[in-house]
Amino acid sequence: MIRRLATGAVLLALLSFLVFVGVELLPGDPVTTRLGPTATPERVEAARHQLGLDRPVLVRYGEWVSGLVQGDLGRSATGKPVSEMLSDRVGNSVLLAGISLVLLVPLSLGLGLLAATRRSVSAGALVLASIPEFVLAVGLVLLFAITLRWFPAVSLIPAGSSPLAYPSALVLPVLSLLALGMSYAIRVIRSTASTALRSPHVEFMRLNGVPSRTVFRTAVVPAVLPVAVQVWLVTGVSLIGGGVLVEKVFGYPGIGELLVVSVQSGDLPVVQALTLILGGAMVLALLFADVAIRLLTPRLRTTS
Amino acid sequence: MKRAFAAVAALIVLLGPEFAANSPTKPVGVPYSWPTWVLPFGTDHLGRDVLSRMLHGGRPLVLTSLAAALAGVLLGAVIGLAVALTKRQALMWPLDAIAAVPPILVLLLTLTAMPDRVGLVLAVAVVGAPLAARVTQAAAAQVVGRAHVEIAIARGENWAWLLGREILPLVGGTVLADAGMRFVTSVHLVAAAGFLGLSVSDSDWGLLIVEALPGASLQPWALLVPVLGVALLAVSSNLFADRVARHSRGMLG
Repeated sequence: MIRRLATGAVLLALLSFLVFVGVELLPGDPVTTRLGPTATPERVEAARHQLGLDRPVLVRYGEWVSGLVQGDLGRSATGKPVSEMLSDRVGNSVLLAGISLVLLVPLSLGLGLLAATRRSVSAGALVLASIPEFVLAVGLVLLFAITLRWFPAVSLIPAGSSPLAYPSALVLPVLSLLALGMSYAIRVIRSTASTALRSPHVEFMRLNGVPSRTVFRTAVVPAVLPVAVQVWLVTGVSLIGGGVLVEKVFGYPGIGELLVVSVQSGDLPVVQALTLILGGAMVLALLFADVAIRLLTPRLRTTS
Repeated sequence: MKRAFAAVAALIVLLGPEFAANSPTKPVGVPYSWPTWVLPFGTDHLGRDVLSRMLHGGRPLVLTSLAAALAGVLLGAVIGLAVALTKRQALMWPLDAIAAVPPILVLLLTLTAMPDRVGLVLAVAVVGAPLAARVTQAAAAQVVGRAHVEIAIARGENWAWLLGREILPLVGGTVLADAGMRFVTSVHLVAAAGFLGLSVSDSDWGLLIVEALPGASLQPWALLVPVLGVALLAVSSNLFADRVARHSRGMLG
C-alpha cells in the first residue's frame, strides 16, 4: 500500500513538471495575451518583469509548486485568480460526469453480462460504441434537437446557476458521455464474464442444475466486480476530461470550453492548473481502484 | 462480398479527391442550398459543395490516422520491449505520466506548438504509445524468460538479434492486434482535431461537422453527411481491428 502511494506521488510530481515545462514551451505568452498586439516592447518587458516571467523556468516551477501546496493556483493571464475561474466550471463538469457514471454502472454491468451470453448484443453494443463521442453527440442533436425538437441543442445555462435547474439541457450531453464511457466498460466486463462462465466451478454448478440466476449472482458477478470497479473509476475520471468535445458540441459551461480557449489564447496558469487537476484525479482514481480490488478480492486481503 | 464492399469504400476514400467535381474551398452556389442533381448534398455555410469537400477530406483523415497509429505502436513497442528485456520499470514512468493527461489536452498542446501535419501525427502517436508499450511489455515479459532467449543471451548475441530474431516473432501478433486498436483511436483523435478547429487540411471531416453545426436546421445534409462519414469510418476501422486481432491470434496458434 505504501509502495502504491509512493508511486502515485512520484507520478504526480512527474506530471506536474511535464505540465509546467510542456506548457512553457508553447508559443503563446501570457503578457502578449494581456496587453494585446499593440503593446510596445518596453511595456511587454516591464510586464514580464512585474509578473516574474524573466526568471528561469526552474525557479518559477518551484514557486508554482509551493503555491500549489498552499492551495494557491496562481493568477490567470487575465489577472483573475485561477481558482475563482475554475470553481464553477469544475463543478459543472464533475456533475455531468457524475450523472453519466451513475447511469453507466448498472447499464454497463447489465449489457456486459448480456453480451457475454449473447453474441448479437455484444456486436451491436461494440459497433455503436466505436463511434467517436462528439460525432454521436452531433447525431443526437440532429435527431432529438433539430428534427424532433424534444431537447435543446445548446445548453443555455446562465453563469453562476446550477445545471441541475435545467434538466432538459442535461439529457443529450449525459447520453453522449455515456456512450464515451460505455465501449471500454462493456468490453472488459464481457471478457471477464465469459472467462468466468467457462470456469470449472460454473460448469459444475450448471451440471448440478443450479438456476442460471444463482450462477450469475454467486459465481459470475463476484468475479466481474473487482475488474469492473477499476474500469468504472478510471472511466469516471476520464469522463471529466474526455467531455471536452461533448461540452463543445452543446456549449456546456464546463472545463472543456475553458481549456480550449486557454490553450489557444496562451493563458498558461489556467492550462497548468486544469491539466494538474485532471491528471491528479486520474492518479487518485487508480489508487482508489487498487484499494477497491483489495476490498473485493478476499484472496488478496488474506495473503498480504 | 464483404471484402469487395470494403475495397470499394477504401478506394472511394483514398481516391476521393480525383472524383470530386468541384474545389473544396471555392463557393459554387448559394450558401445553405438544398441537394440538387448537380450538388447531391447541397452547399455549406459559404456555398461550397459538400460532396466535393467530403471527397477531399477522406484521404488526409485516413492517411494521417494510419501514420500516427504506426508511429505510436513503433514508439510504444520499442519502449515496451526495452522494459521487458531490462526489467527496468522506471522506463515506463514518463509514459505513465503522459497517460494521465487527457488525450484531447495532449492534442491541444502539441498542435498549438506545431500546427502542421507532423504535429498532429506526433500528438496522436504520443497518446497511443503508453498503451502500446504496456501491451508489448506484457506480451514480451512472458517470452524473455524462455530457454531460447536465455541461450541467445548466453551466446552473446546483440540487442538487435535478441529483439528481431528471438522475441519479435513471438509477440508480433499481439503488437499487430494492438496496432488495429491504435488505428481506431487515431481516427477518433484526428477527426476530433478537425472538430476543435485544429485541422491541418481545409476539408477535414471533423471541420465539416463543426462548421455545419450552427446552420444545421437550415441545411441538415451538410451536417448529416460528415457525421455519417466519420461514424462509418470509425465502425469499419473497429471491425477491421477486430479481424486483425483474430487473425494474429490464429497466427500464433
